Amino acid sequence: MNRSFTIATGCLLAAVLVMGAYLFSLRRNEQSRVQSLPDRRPIPAPVTGPPSRVTLYLAYDDPGVVRAETVSIALPPDPGERGREILRALVGEYVKRPSAHELPATADVKDVFLVGTDTAVVDTTESFAEGHPSGVFVETLTLASLVKTLTANLPGVTRVKILVDGKERETLAGHADLECFYDAVTVEQLLEQLR
Amino acid sequence: MPWTERLASARSAARAAAMAAILLCLLASAPSAEDKLLSIYGPRVSYSLPVSDHEGQEYVALLEALEPFGNVTAGAAGARWKLHFNHLEAEFRQNASIGKVAGQRIGLPGPFVLENDRGLVPLRALPTLLGLMLATKTDYHEAGRRLFLGGVGTRFTTDVRENGLNLNFTAAVNPLISTEPGKLKMSFTRDAVVSNSYILRPENPLVSLITFSENNGKAELVVAGRVPLLAQFTADRRTIEIVPAPAQAQAPPTVVTGNAPSAATLPAAVAVPPPPTLQSLTARPGFVVMLDPGHGGEDRGALLSDTLEEKGVTLAFARRLRSELQGHGISVIMSRDADVTVGVEQRAAIADAARVAVYLSLHAASQGRGVRVYTALINSASAKPASFLPWDTAQARYVLSSRALAGIVKAELGKHEIPGAEFPAPVKPLNNVAAAALAIEVAPSSADVSSVSAGGYQQRIAAAVAEAIVVGRTRVEAER
Repeated sequence: MNRSFTIATGCLLAAVLVMGAYLFSLRRNEQSRVQSLPDRRPIPAPVTGPPSRVTLYLAYDDPGVVRAETVSIALPPDPGERGREILRALVGEYVKRPSAHELPATADVKDVFLVGTDTAVVDTTESFAEGHPSGVFVETLTLASLVKTLTANLPGVTRVKILVDGKERETLAGHADLECFYDAVTVEQLLEQLR
Repeated sequence: MPWTERLASARSAARAAAMAAILLCLLASAPSAEDKLLSIYGPRVSYSLPVSDHEGQEYVALLEALEPFGNVTAGAAGARWKLHFNHLEAEFRQNASIGKVAGQRIGLPGPFVLENDRGLVPLRALPTLLGLMLATKTDYHEAGRRLFLGGVGTRFTTDVRENGLNLNFTAAVNPLISTEPGKLKMSFTRDAVVSNSYILRPENPLVSLITFSENNGKAELVVAGRVPLLAQFTADRRTIEIVPAPAQAQAPPTVVTGNAPSAATLPAAVAVPPPPTLQSLTARPGFVVMLDPGHGGEDRGALLSDTLEEKGVTLAFARRLRSELQGHGISVIMSRDADVTVGVEQRAAIADAARVAVYLSLHAASQGRGVRVYTALINSASAKPASFLPWDTAQARYVLSSRALAGIVKAELGKHEIPGAEFPAPVKPLNNVAAAALAIEVAPSSADVSSVSAGGYQQRIAAAVAEAIVVGRTRVEAER
């Protein structure tokens, strides 16, 4: 191996190392620039509207019942938004600590869409299902509480479909069906038996 | 095409593919009347296990054999299979004929088989293994595949009377009784009935011969009569009275369980066909119960405690329940009998393809106490007579039958002093089952969550549920 070839190889290796270091610094600078940018994602408008009295149907794991409780919350005029705020108030009771029916702290209702005259589609956060306690009874209580609260406060709504992060899901946490539409009458029958 | 239609067509295609695969599996593995069984009789529990053949030898699952006696767990790591039973440890290697139990080397009469993480040992090795692990005396009746632990055994004597013959047993018995011209057969699956004399010739004008035999995990007493005969129990179920049947007793073959409601001696020879005080279970082919232990494989279900997964608890309970049901002469299929993944809809498809009479989805939970029995959250009014049932509402036609059965299960649980509750719930996949369908959720018996997996507790629940199926069978069959 002659001397000039050795020098050329050494220069190339040095160039590779310098380029690598330069690229690394560029990447780090770009990351810190992006992190320092203000968050421009849209945020929901604050809920406005007169306080209204709504009935929440709260689940109690022990002794395994769903009880009605009246609360006062600010409700917007749009029926879908009203449904969302009512369910958020309901889920808010479950994410408190302690709660009679604990759900993960990040569980929430993202949206409620009204389809036609009688159907509501509830979109929940991923953690609502992922972190939900697993068990037939506990999952049934959650669904009965959600469906009853919604159908009792939104006149005309008799069918409820529940999505998780915008997608259909087989079960809530391994047991309760999330592929079906929940009918207000059959849920009422379940609540009757729980009383 | 709208997204809802695309979703529906994709789901229909998936279901059709699943159904086809399941039908093929069922055709290949459908249980037959010739299924081999081993019965094990202990001082507190009697149960039956399936026996499988591997290279000309009979094998049985060691974990299942030990389950009724305490906490047992097992797991495979490569070719090695380790089992923990109470404070004992056993280790076997796939295809090896030597294992280790509590540090002691044990020779097996054939190689150890690892099948879907289930450890199978040659049947002939089981008496030695159970004797060692339970520290008890064993007596194996190889020809009849019956294993007796701790010196248990129910003996009987004959007592000739003027108008019949009494069979007196040393313990209460619960045989399956069937009649056919000239013969009365009593089949003992759960009773440790033994006899030294295999042929008895009583001096009796009614009975000419009594034979005792053991076969396929059960004992059979056949009473050959000179006249048509009828069997009835005394209140303590320790005596079976053989009496002549009435003149019109030339009846077709009838099967009767010994599970009769008995306040005192049942009325003598009231009728044949079936006497009204005995529950007739006249053989109707196809009364099959499907047990569906929830979760399995990748789906562990609820984490009941740091070490207790729902999938394991449900499987152990399903095996106990299977044993109880088979003890009542009821055919059982299981959606899984190992730690394998089975899809939720696939479970309903198996039930529907097998045209089972009763489907039981088994679950476990850490919340609450006792047992909760669920039926589908569906309106029975939506049922319409049709050749094909809609998948999403297949249960609608059967939900009244399911609710009746749930009520019976709750009542039987009460008789066994187990707290029970019954109500509708949206449990997957009850809506898709075209049969009486229940979900049974076992909760702990005490504040200690691990009590949900206790052998004695599960055994009591299994006994109650099996008795409920026997009681509710007539109703279920009437509405099929």
